Amino acid sequence: MPREPMDLMQGTLDVLILRTLAWGPMHGYAATRWIRERTGGTIDIEDAPLYKALHRLEHSGCVSAEWGISENNRRARYYKLTARGRQQLKAEESAWRRYAAAVFAVLEPVS
Amino acid sequence: MAALPVVKGTLDVLVLRALQWAPMHGFEITSWLEQRSASALEVEDSAVYQALYRMEERKLIEAEWGVTENQRQARYYKITPQGRAHLKAQTAQWLRYADTVTAILTVAPKQG
Amino acid sequence: MRRLFKFPWRNARDIRADVDDELRFHIEERTSALVAAGLAPDAARTQALREFGDVDDARRYINALDRGTESAARRKDYLGELRQDLAYAFRKLRSSPAFTITAIVTLALGIGANAAIFSVVNGVLLRPLPYPHAEQLLKVYQANRSAGNLHASVSPLDLDDWRAQRTVFADIGGFWYSDGASGVDLTGDGDPQRLSAVFITPGFFTTLQVGAAEGRLPREDELVRGGPDKVVVLSNGFWQRQYGSSPSIVGTHITLEGAPYQVIGVMPRNFAYPSDRADVYIPYSTITDDMIPRIRPVRILDAVARMKPGVTMAAAGAELNTIAARLARQYPEDAAWGETTLVPLRDDITGNVRAALLVLLGAVAFVLLIGCVNVASLLLARAGVREREIAVRAALGAGRGRIVRQLLTESIVLSLAGGAAGVAVARAGVGALLALSAGQLPRGADVHIDGTVLLFALALSLATGLLFGLVPAVHASRAALHGTLREAGRGVAGGARRARSVLVIAEVALAVVLVVGAGLMGRSFIAIMKVDPGFRPDHLIAVNFTISTTRRPTGWQQYYHAVIDKARTVPGVISAGATKDAPFRGNGERDIFGPPGYVVKAGEDPPTARMMHVSDGYFQTIGARIAAGREFSPTDRAGGPHLILVNESFAKHWFPGEAAVGKSIDMAPAAINGKSEPAQIIGVVADIRQAAMDEPARETIYENNMVNGRVKVALVARTAGEPLAMARKLREAVWSVDKEQPITSIETFDDVVSESMARPRLLTVLLGAFGVLGLILGALGIYGVLAYLVSERQREIGVRIALGAPARSVLWMFVGRGLALTAAGLAIGLGGALMLTRLMSGVLYGVQATDPLTFAAVGSILLAVAALASWIPARRAAHVDPVEALRSD
Repeated sequence: MPREPMDLMQGTLDVLILRTLAWGPMHGYAATRWIRERTGGTIDIEDAPLYKALHRLEHSGCVSAEWGISENNRRARYYKLTARGRQQLKAEESAWRRYAAAVFAVLEPVS
Repeated sequence: MAALPVVKGTLDVLVLRALQWAPMHGFEITSWLEQRSASALEVEDSAVYQALYRMEERKLIEAEWGVTENQRQARYYKITPQGRAHLKAQTAQWLRYADTVTAILTVAPKQG
Repeated sequence: MRRLFKFPWRNARDIRADVDDELRFHIEERTSALVAAGLAPDAARTQALREFGDVDDARRYINALDRGTESAARRKDYLGELRQDLAYAFRKLRSSPAFTITAIVTLALGIGANAAIFSVVNGVLLRPLPYPHAEQLLKVYQANRSAGNLHASVSPLDLDDWRAQRTVFADIGGFWYSDGASGVDLTGDGDPQRLSAVFITPGFFTTLQVGAAEGRLPREDELVRGGPDKVVVLSNGFWQRQYGSSPSIVGTHITLEGAPYQVIGVMPRNFAYPSDRADVYIPYSTITDDMIPRIRPVRILDAVARMKPGVTMAAAGAELNTIAARLARQYPEDAAWGETTLVPLRDDITGNVRAALLVLLGAVAFVLLIGCVNVASLLLARAGVREREIAVRAALGAGRGRIVRQLLTESIVLSLAGGAAGVAVARAGVGALLALSAGQLPRGADVHIDGTVLLFALALSLATGLLFGLVPAVHASRAALHGTLREAGRGVAGGARRARSVLVIAEVALAVVLVVGAGLMGRSFIAIMKVDPGFRPDHLIAVNFTISTTRRPTGWQQYYHAVIDKARTVPGVISAGATKDAPFRGNGERDIFGPPGYVVKAGEDPPTARMMHVSDGYFQTIGARIAAGREFSPTDRAGGPHLILVNESFAKHWFPGEAAVGKSIDMAPAAINGKSEPAQIIGVVADIRQAAMDEPARETIYENNMVNGRVKVALVARTAGEPLAMARKLREAVWSVDKEQPITSIETFDDVVSESMARPRLLTVLLGAFGVLGLILGALGIYGVLAYLVSERQREIGVRIALGAPARSVLWMFVGRGLALTAAGLAIGLGGALMLTRLMSGVLYGVQATDPLTFAAVGSILLAVAALASWIPARRAAHVDPVEALRSD
């Protein structure tokens, strides 16, 4: 059955970005690419919401930004997880697990 | 632990699940959801009624009047065949989604 | 110091550029990827843009977000830097305790003195009177333009008519209060006492809109004649003293002037109008006609009025003038009184001290300025020592602004500390000022250190910190501009020298202004002291009492006679006499008279003169000089032709070039009583300063109290020994004639004269202290700069001496420099003083604000002081050992 990429539910975007950046500093484009590859195309993040989310996370202090040079020698803005971001990530992860478990409890068993 | 708010799209599927075996009225649906999720999910009555109204429009459920245990009149909702199909598809999709997200979150990078 | 390594702050344009760059990068990456996947460049770009989503919305959202992020970070950074600066400042200040303490003490004195004077200015001049809508309150005087009297007392009958015909006034009221003259006897409660009374008319309390603290205030019907007007309201002070603040006194009766008065209320504690010495408030209607006739020409009342809301003083004045003009047309005795003068009540109460207070405020501001210059000088010297440290900071990346900010933080911490300590100084200062000026200061009760004063101290501290800190901070930060640390040493020193020289010149200039002010005040004070009062206050004592006409309706002249005669018999009394108003204790009455050949003109009041009432032997007792003729003698007591004396001013005016003795004047020319009353001049007495030392005598006529008496008595006696030692004997002498005579007070004239000089004395002392302070600080400043100079140029001096320069030339090198600096400061200071001292002319007596003698003297003093202050370090320079000097460096 053709798989439509699912819309990302609100709130999940932030935690995904944080998790992505846990792998290392990235610029926005790299982050989209990484998430798409990791999810095998199941989750497709739109660019505009991604950048909004990145800057929101910068504003709340979960990530910090610096200009750097990309692989092809271009000037790009790199985002890095901060200590606060790491804490936030842990909290969001456990929140996600509880949520998923709760929904799962309601939905299963599927007839 | 505070209850987690339910995302709008997910609520439809949960409500359909509640109605899978028997018709219920709004309050029953809310209680059933809270009970099944061990109160981990925060289900607002207004959101539930909005969802019921939406799905009634889309013919996923249909409503009829009935009498409750306390001999009161209430609107009972019943799942339709389209509803069942929708429930099956959405459940599968949600599970896939949850798996994906969990997978991403689970593969921990080397902490360094 | 983390921030020093980050990029500078972004403004809105930078943020926009960054966001655009970031999004552009993404789009271009996506485009390249699509091209690599096979699309044409244009199509790839279009698709990339489409896939992105709403670019403009994202851009707007992110821009707004980033601006918020940037300003939050900037704020946090500033706070962090501020915390750093504060910690650093505390550390640095603590590590040089001598400097820190000197600076804080200097600032505390300067700021505290300013706060103290400001408290007084605030309480007396600035704060509104403690009545509701006090800006509506006015003092009203009657004006007789043709007689040149624009601030005359008000006639009770005119006041009643004003009140009845008013439209733009909410209310008008009047009172009669004369410290020492308007009194009533309190009997039946312990010793008989004379109370200081304020006699009020209807409208007095209602105009002021005060309420009673206990009980109530009089009703309208209780204040008019014929009504139940024997009511009395106590002042709060009297209530405390006499009745121990007991509320039960209200409703009871007390005996005043032999009659029962019902105590209906007590005034609130802060009510002190017209004086804080008033004991009781009694209806004016209780004064009988034989005490004060109730006729229109008797102008005796003070009047206060309240304008209705929104009415201007001009409109109020216009209405009152209209009413007065109407009355002038209606009543012939009012013919010359068709105008009124209005003065805002607060100005009326405080006007006579405004000049003095403002002079003090100016002077003390100068003291603070000099203090600032001193601290700035200290900072400059200190900055020289810290050059290295600052250069290191600069090398580490601190921008110039950052260094200035950090040094300024130090200055402001210093000045705030000085300000906090200054509040304690101010508290002591206010206490001292109030004590020293007891009785001189109207509204003294309203002076305290309140929120306004604290705010003033805070603002002054901040301003001071900026003032003395800015120049040294900017100057020191210049070290940051120089590339190497070594260079920093040389260049900054030269600048420091220049800056310190400028500071010294400023200090000298400021000190000059202060010392000139002090000098002028001193000369003024000496001039007052040299004034011949017209009598001899030494060994002179006065016993004040009032003869009660209710207890003694007839025969009081015999009583008066008996008391004087008894006093003369007391051993130790050389001579004794009596008068109604002793010098500085009253101004007699003003009354009309007719000089010889005078014809009454319609619409014009006859000339007036001061009327004094004296006994025989009075002038001899007080030591006044009889210039011609004789004074009253006991034989004149029996009556007979109406005899008077006049003073020299009167004689010179009305009988120029001829003898006044033997001439007659008419004591009742306007024919009020239907007949004239000639009186013969039997003597001319030299002018006596009756009102105050710095007020010349007015034309005065002296009546014989035995013949035309007044009941207020000042029994004066010249004593052989210490006058105060005679007090008891004199009191006993009075009581031996009537053991129930209440005695109001006893005082020596040395005290009275001294008290009358209290204000100029206070001003002279304060300004003198400020002047001396300024002089010392100026001298210290000169000394400091020269000492620094000497130590700096040790090498050069050593060379000169080694080359054979005589000590004198080295000495002169430095003394000359000191004198040059002083001369520059002198020039500026004298110029400034010339412009500023004219503001002092309100408090000066007998000396002009531009008095050349004072200016010259101050200039010489300063040059002398400067020469001394320069000579000491210069002497040290002349004795420099050339070998040592050449070896050092």
